Amino acid sequence: MRKTKLIFASFLSLSLMLGGCSGERTSSESDVGKTTLTFFHRWPKEPEKTYFNEVVKEFEKQNPDIHIKTEAVLNDSYKDKIKVMTGTNNPPDIYFSWSDEFASQFVRGNKALDLTSYYKNDPTWSSQLVPSQVKPYTFNDKVYGVPVTMDGKMFFYNKDVFEKLNIHPPKTWNDFIDVLKVLKKNNYTALQFGSQDTWTISHYVGTLNQRLVSPEVLAMDYNRKTGKFKDDDYIKALEKFQELLPYFNENTNSIDHEYARQQFSNGKAPMFYAETAEIKLFGPTKFELGMFNFPEVEGGKGNPTNLTGSPEGFMVSSKTKHPKEAMEFLKFLTTKHMGEKLVTDVGKYSAVKGTVNENNSSPEQLEAVQSILNTEEMAPWFDMSIDARIADAYLTGTQMMLNGDKTPKQIMRDVQKAADTVRFEAGK
Amino acid sequence: MIKPDKFVPYLYLLPALVFLLLVYIPIFQNIGDSMYNWSTFSPDKAFVGMDNYFTLFKDPVFYEALKNNILYAVISIVFQVFGGLIVAAVLEDKLIRKFSPIFRTVYFLPVVVSMTVIALLFSFFYNPEVGLLNQFLKMIGLNNLALPWLGDSETAIYAVIAVSQWQSIGYIAMLYIVSIQKISPELYEAAEMDGANKIKTFFHITVPATKEMTFVAVILTLTGAFTVFNEPYILTGGGPGTSSEVLSTYLYKTAFSKDMMGYASAIATVILIITLLISLVQMKIFKTGKED
Repeated sequence: MRKTKLIFASFLSLSLMLGGCSGERTSSESDVGKTTLTFFHRWPKEPEKTYFNEVVKEFEKQNPDIHIKTEAVLNDSYKDKIKVMTGTNNPPDIYFSWSDEFASQFVRGNKALDLTSYYKNDPTWSSQLVPSQVKPYTFNDKVYGVPVTMDGKMFFYNKDVFEKLNIHPPKTWNDFIDVLKVLKKNNYTALQFGSQDTWTISHYVGTLNQRLVSPEVLAMDYNRKTGKFKDDDYIKALEKFQELLPYFNENTNSIDHEYARQQFSNGKAPMFYAETAEIKLFGPTKFELGMFNFPEVEGGKGNPTNLTGSPEGFMVSSKTKHPKEAMEFLKFLTTKHMGEKLVTDVGKYSAVKGTVNENNSSPEQLEAVQSILNTEEMAPWFDMSIDARIADAYLTGTQMMLNGDKTPKQIMRDVQKAADTVRFEAGK
Repeated sequence: MIKPDKFVPYLYLLPALVFLLLVYIPIFQNIGDSMYNWSTFSPDKAFVGMDNYFTLFKDPVFYEALKNNILYAVISIVFQVFGGLIVAAVLEDKLIRKFSPIFRTVYFLPVVVSMTVIALLFSFFYNPEVGLLNQFLKMIGLNNLALPWLGDSETAIYAVIAVSQWQSIGYIAMLYIVSIQKISPELYEAAEMDGANKIKTFFHITVPATKEMTFVAVILTLTGAFTVFNEPYILTGGGPGTSSEVLSTYLYKTAFSKDMMGYASAIATVILIITLLISLVQMKIFKTGKED
């Protein structure tokens, strides 16, 4: 029995020691004098993964006393994980965030660092960022994020098929339906759509909302404190979406966006609603690629030329122990050199001015970027503009509408209920 | 004479203490949390008493998820428990016993493959245009059965449940094989001499003799059916819409997408109560599960 006691006691003390040691390691890294930053982004896939790894390596080479730990999870998981991580005592120092409402929730919860002073004190750096892309990260006149990419959503089409059938990019919704009718009559799956992930639905619904609903009503409803979503135009927007159903491929809910994109890029479907950043992902197409903005919807009260799209960028944790070093990294990430590298390696459009040029972009990409820069006003992604709970009611409901399981009126009733809850909480 | 050490027995209790701390305290904490409204972004918790539960019992998605879990339970019992027993009985039958090691491996292999791998595999398998299932159905002429399995609200949950059955039958079958091997072969010989056929021996010898294992299998299957997460989350994410939500995916969405922690705690407490009830009822029916 003596021996057993001894073994037990030593085992216990050993495990306690080990437990205590592992606690130490998470707070500050072992290297003396080195600052460690945690960098959390949403691209564990190529080509972004290699791009960011290379940027980090280059930065560490130029700043030998800073070490950056990178972590990445994919899109939808990122949305969940970042909320949890910023709620802990050890949030990531630099983290990716979509703009508008998504970023605003971090600002409201005091999880984001105010970066306005950095912008003001370094005008050489801050003036090279496209201003329309900084605005979506600005709240109450303070800037909380650094945009890294800019993006817009357009209809891409097969110019060869259009020429063969003698149809042209439509300017209005009725023209658009006519074009779809002609394509369908000629046995094409006119418009390819993969709605398994609900964000694809939010892009259609968001643009339709922006086109149909008056800007004042839209602004009021997208605001958490005042949103009611009682306007009939929202139902109209969903009904317009339903008008597209006969021209989509079958079973959109079983197909994801990547598969739908492949169907377009290998010539099986002549039209696809996609982000300008996806041009590189189409790869070299066997047909000539064309693009047009979402058409004007007759009777719509919103600006008919708005381009739906948002920047993507990074924010700094309000709890970071190394704000200066974190900003150094973000400034490095948004230098002209790194911006051009982003365009060449990844095919995304850097929010740094002048980075997209003939040397690193195809003519289609240049055309796309011009649309973004020329657009009078950008309409941010719908699911990033409203509270997550309203987005959930809207998008899961619309997904069921695509299956014929829910009507626009039923969806809006659920949305109104969610909006009531959000309004109640926001008012407190 | 060796003096009985007074100290050592308490050392043997330590693991139970650890269990108490790490498992039971959070369970009670969660029940407490369900009476507040809180999120990861707001610093304060608002006490709302039983409000979350009242909302929950009026929530149509909750009932849809519960219905899906019940479907899961019923189908799992039929396929895994009953099906598993049949598979085990067949594999342990005198004639097949020589070949059974190969079959055992074949049936058990899905159990050890990572759930994530299986879910991704079946996502492809169920693809309505290029997936293996629909291609096969079209090939044998059953075109109108080539449905969008994961994209149709009617079929989504069944497609998900089917994947779970494929994975778990082998596990329960293995448990039953162990149990059947303990049955004395003399019973079978006697029955055969009395003229009983295979089906009769199955129902009169195999089934009663494996009663204890059935008890275990039913508990495993039922609690598994109410706590399942991986399959629905990876295959459909609860969709399309909310047609394939189960309690645990609804809990995940509520907690991490919608940031409603108190409400999620309420869902978790309901899952706890359901699984607790199942275990208690079962123990009563099978009368404590002691070997007799």
